[in-house]
Amino acid sequence: MTPEVDILQATDIAFAYRPDEPVLRGVSLSAAPGRFTCLLGSNGSGKTTLLRCLMGQIEPASGAIRLDGKLLRDYRPRELARMLAYVPQLPASSLAFSAAEIVLMGRYAHTGPLGLAGPGDVAVAREAMKMTDTLDFADRMLDELSGGEAQRVMIARALAQQPSVILLDEPTSHLDIRHQLNIYQMMRRLAHDWPMAVVCVSHDVNLAARIADDLVLMRRGLVVAAGSPADVIRQDLLTQTYDVPVDLIPTPGDDVPMVRAK
Amino acid sequence: MSEPAEKPSHDDGNLSARRSASTSAPILSAWRLILWTAALLGATVAVAVACTLVGVIGLSDITWEIWASRALRMLTAGIVGAGLAAAGLALQGLLRNPLAEPYILGISSGAGVGVLLGMAAAGWWAAPAWASTPVLAFAGASASCLAVYLVAQRHGRVDPYSLILSGVIVNTFNGALMLAGNLYIDRHRIADFAYWAMGQLPDATPMSLLGVCGACVAVGWAVLLANSAAYNVLGLGDDVAASSGVSVHRLRLVTFGAVGVMTAAAVALAGPIGFLGLIVPHICRMVFGPDHRLGMIIAPLGGAIFLMIAETLCRTVGPVVGISRVPVGIVTALCGGPFFIFLLRTRFRRAGQ
Repeated sequence: MTPEVDILQATDIAFAYRPDEPVLRGVSLSAAPGRFTCLLGSNGSGKTTLLRCLMGQIEPASGAIRLDGKLLRDYRPRELARMLAYVPQLPASSLAFSAAEIVLMGRYAHTGPLGLAGPGDVAVAREAMKMTDTLDFADRMLDELSGGEAQRVMIARALAQQPSVILLDEPTSHLDIRHQLNIYQMMRRLAHDWPMAVVCVSHDVNLAARIADDLVLMRRGLVVAAGSPADVIRQDLLTQTYDVPVDLIPTPGDDVPMVRAK
Repeated sequence: MSEPAEKPSHDDGNLSARRSASTSAPILSAWRLILWTAALLGATVAVAVACTLVGVIGLSDITWEIWASRALRMLTAGIVGAGLAAAGLALQGLLRNPLAEPYILGISSGAGVGVLLGMAAAGWWAAPAWASTPVLAFAGASASCLAVYLVAQRHGRVDPYSLILSGVIVNTFNGALMLAGNLYIDRHRIADFAYWAMGQLPDATPMSLLGVCGACVAVGWAVLLANSAAYNVLGLGDDVAASSGVSVHRLRLVTFGAVGVMTAAAVALAGPIGFLGLIVPHICRMVFGPDHRLGMIIAPLGGAIFLMIAETLCRTVGPVVGISRVPVGIVTALCGGPFFIFLLRTRFRRAGQ
């Protein structure tokens, strides 16, 4: 196995929406191709703000974010989009485009000013839809799909950018447990097979612990712990992260115990 | 791994015309774009010729001057209609708001204040009308764009209802400015201005003004067309669009700039003609689907056709109801008012939630 090189590296990131209320207070994080990383933490811990920094949507007050060795802020939007893609919490509603057209929008940064898809773009989109199992409803409108189907279309759209990094912001928060598992397993498979770095903000510690390669625990703008689930799922760390006493319940046949608030 | 195809639980406030799954169009390709452009262009020319001929065909004593003035008026109608329809479509895409339109957002009335300023000051300065009118109109349109956007936005996000309300506010303010401006206009010209303010294609437009305004609309349209793919992606949300490679801030600036230029040109030529920028893009979406790339070609040509027909109707119907000239703005507003209410009641029901 070749040594993994971190493609996305954030060092000592600080950010505040208002000067007296820092949201991120020196966060470091790295993501390597072939790894599925989940960001965990209580509400307001700064997970989503960190994700927005990593996307280049907001500029950290201090610290550096490097993507493939180059500072994130030195990327031009189209150049960045060919390296890094994003999947939102909720797919856009009320769009009268078909699933295939939505996925082809992922080719925006690869096509000319009119964004007209050539045969190559269509092939990439088709492949992305195959990987996310969305080809069956390629011609259906996005707002006619179920939540799980629509979210898979949004993931296919991100894949069509052919990125090295995909960032997801609680992509399953509105889905039932079957579709939550389905999306997480798909992201893990994509991270390993593509390979690419997948960083996912997650609200479900058990799901993340079961499926992710790496976990990052955040609390009040700081990283509490980072590492493999087996290392990070510890009573003291989780109690500290979520500000609530937790029990760890051993699950037979699984290295990682189940977490339950006391 | 098939899923039950249940509807999403939240009822979406269908912002755009909806196509059923069975009629979903194939992926937009260059040849389809060219084909539609050619077809619509042909239709536009046909309508222009037909409208020029209506009412005078068969008359023997038609002079060359009358033909020329009729053709020129159709050209003016085409430029104004195309500019307003393209501007409306771009605003609806940019703001993800089906009710956005230069007239409703107060951009037209802003341009109107500029034009009025030019009229009021005409006695005092020597600048030719073809230069000063569009420039002043653009200044007014830009100021209104800026005001509407700044009033409506909160942290860079624009709520659909706030946008319409701030349009109402800016419209009211501009209306007051225009009324005040009336006081300074030469009494003999007040009637001219009153007709102009209703939105009317003039009997004779100086070629210089027509040239400048035509160029403004053409350049603005080219800019909007070049950004039309970005409006599609923007429909997925600002964050997704930005991560797809759209420079969202730049897109806002460029779009408002182009819309300002086009609206200013349209208003300088024909006064504030309302609702055309609302009706035409919606009809285009209903027929041709939501793709802004196709829309940015269909809507302007559709707008040209719409205004040429409306103007011809005004000229033909006018004498029947005992008025020599019905301002075309009255017709578009009579069509647009009910259409606005229809959109508000159906497409927009829950968009603000």
